[in-house]
Amino acid sequence: MSAAVGDELKLFVVEAVSAKAMKEWAVFLRDPNPIHLDVAVVKAKGLGERVINQGPANVAYVMNMLLAAFPACRIARMDSRFVDNVYAGERLEAGGTVRAVDGNAVQCEVWLRADGGRPVIAGTATVLVE
Amino acid sequence: MEALPPPPDVAGVSLDGTEIYVITAAENAALCASTGVEAAQDGTAHPVYYYIATQVAMGKTVAGVCETCEFNVEDGPMMGSSGVVFQTPLQVDLPYRVRGEIMGLVRKRSKKLGVMDVLTYRLSLYDAAGAEVLQTENVWVLPRRELA
Repeated sequence: MSAAVGDELKLFVVEAVSAKAMKEWAVFLRDPNPIHLDVAVVKAKGLGERVINQGPANVAYVMNMLLAAFPACRIARMDSRFVDNVYAGERLEAGGTVRAVDGNAVQCEVWLRADGGRPVIAGTATVLVE
Repeated sequence: MEALPPPPDVAGVSLDGTEIYVITAAENAALCASTGVEAAQDGTAHPVYYYIATQVAMGKTVAGVCETCEFNVEDGPMMGSSGVVFQTPLQVDLPYRVRGEIMGLVRKRSKKLGVMDVLTYRLSLYDAAGAEVLQTENVWVLPRRELA
């Protein structure tokens, strides 16, 4: 696997964020926060009209993008800044750009964007490629 | 502008876990499927378990961490950022333990939230031999609208 500074990483697309998956993530995280499960709570808190995806699930999409872009790589580090919420039904795109290459370590700027390109996660990652 | 009251002094509060955490192959497969990919066939777990394993097996619940910061979890803590450094990949069906602590709680004025406390905590995950597998640092934003 070769990578060069400036390479754009292939997008990982989630066509529609699933409210059912949010229920599964509530179990994975052992965190029954109702903003991920009950739209009535989301509305009551003035946070929107649809349930809100768990932040770590959004990180997972970015990790999926990296693992697909660099087959057999290992993620060595990743920093994610949570910029906005993701709502049920939204289409997501995870992507990135190679910013540096040092031996088998590839440093990337990574991101997750929701419907219409709204930033959701901005971050950096280093992957170790074979 | 009036000075804000200081936040609770929570730096150094232990988050060492007492529970052993195991990423089961079945749950890893379900998690991978929920994000649109298949689980790896080599025994490695999805790397997002860095967050899940440390959160689930740390010494306090999310609500408990909030309570330590004198914040009601019902008031809606928000994730600000999350970072991880992996020493080795996570594996399914192996036992892990968590150690960690709260690094600090900083009170700030915010255009969007009025007043907020910024909580930083650091957790490490260890394998059965005591070797560090990863270290993560998470930042949460705790809105303090009552102080605005």
